[in-house]
Amino acid sequence: MFLSHFSSLTPDKPAIICKGQVLSYAELWERVQERSRQLRDEGLREGQPYDFVMSQDVDSIVTYCAVQCCGASSILYTTGTTGSAKGVIISAKAWTANAENLIDRLGFTSDLVFIICGPLNHLGCLSKIFPTLMTGGTLYILEGLKDLNAFFEPFNSSHLSTFNFQLSTFTKFATFLVPSGIRMLMQFASKQLSAVSHQIDFIETGAAPISQHDMEQLCQLLPQTRLFNTYASTETGIVCSYEFSRYGCQPGVVGKPMKHSSVRIGEDGSVICSGDTLMSGYVGSPSGAPCPSEIHTSDIGFLDEDGMLHLEGRSDDIINVGGYKVNPSEVEDVALAFEGIRDCICIPAPHPLLGTAPKLLYVPKEKVKDLNGENVKNLSPFNLFTFSTFLRSRLEPYKVPLFYEAVPSIKRTYNGKLDRKAYR
Amino acid sequence: MKSRIIELLSAALPMVDLESDFLFSELDSLGVTTILMVLSEEYGITLDAKDATPKNLRTIDSIVQMVEGKVKSLKV
Repeated sequence: MFLSHFSSLTPDKPAIICKGQVLSYAELWERVQERSRQLRDEGLREGQPYDFVMSQDVDSIVTYCAVQCCGASSILYTTGTTGSAKGVIISAKAWTANAENLIDRLGFTSDLVFIICGPLNHLGCLSKIFPTLMTGGTLYILEGLKDLNAFFEPFNSSHLSTFNFQLSTFTKFATFLVPSGIRMLMQFASKQLSAVSHQIDFIETGAAPISQHDMEQLCQLLPQTRLFNTYASTETGIVCSYEFSRYGCQPGVVGKPMKHSSVRIGEDGSVICSGDTLMSGYVGSPSGAPCPSEIHTSDIGFLDEDGMLHLEGRSDDIINVGGYKVNPSEVEDVALAFEGIRDCICIPAPHPLLGTAPKLLYVPKEKVKDLNGENVKNLSPFNLFTFSTFLRSRLEPYKVPLFYEAVPSIKRTYNGKLDRKAYR
Repeated sequence: MKSRIIELLSAALPMVDLESDFLFSELDSLGVTTILMVLSEEYGITLDAKDATPKNLRTIDSIVQMVEGKVKSLKV
């Protein structure tokens, strides 16, 4: 395990800084060993999947490392194409391959402080834990980007010194930001960003398309920083990455496959991935089913003559909300459970920061018949706030529609299915 | 100004209880940046990350106060 190496090489160096708490490499390794023993005592064996909640705290990271240490698989939940969330089983081998892909292409080093400012239950951020710790760097965990000023705290030497971390001239910073996070920082903190530009080694983006304008603006703002656009998904792992600050800002270009990955294009134009980063399968699929050797994604793209992957869109109805995938039918199912809704459809709508955001077109219902269809009960007038509170209590935050519009009816096809094409 | 700000923000953030005494804790990063965007466009003021403090965004009244302060300093 890579942690044992750095626990003897740099035992006192901070491995994780999180919510005012610091854990050195020696302390982290000790806690990971202890947790691994507990997990083995509970019966966890190599190759078995282990289900746990990953949140923005030290304890979650200790568990995540311990599961890896046991050679077990972890489970990430993702938007399924069929409506409900799916558990994706990711093996210890795949996590190592993901980490090695990133170390090789992005260049992680021991003097790097990696700022995690997105959710750790999402591949984009979770996948940065091992590359940072495998190269002896430091993880700096933030709760998110709600407090934009907190993002800049680690760049300040007096702030880091409170965590027993001495900022040196060699210290470099890096982070992963979804495109909407980049837009937020450029729009509301461009001065602060520019002031620390010489300290930022690289920024990786991914999970949603980034516009050419945003890429160019970021290159201008951070002229010394290496900027990457990465292609990855929970099912395929981290597959390609493209350094647009070096090779040019081209929208949709995600570069060549990384060392443990390969890509081919199917007859229908879909992107097909293979390699060691692939998931082992979904939770609930028949046990003993072989691991997939290829994964057919819903992304449409092509490979150019240099072997670079270009993405051109998706072949399904998934709405990409600033990097988080929303299945419209999941939102509709929840919305229809609200008593005051007769019909609805969830569609993508343009949003200045997120690119697209879910919008709900709904038909309010005023009356309901009782079970034998005789008595008609009047419902209280439709209240949008009550409705959105209802949605918020049942959906993950990014899945809750940001826009609402009452309509007299929803278009459906001749066989009663939602006519999604009519709303494109 | 307060009623206009409530009108603007309830249109942009329909699921946020703007009358809450703990408005900042009800917001996520998107909510915070949406408020900055909507208000800077409407009043021609510059709002950035340094303005998005829990104190400034504690209640709708503290938001109104922040905007009034910015608008005043524009006129000076």
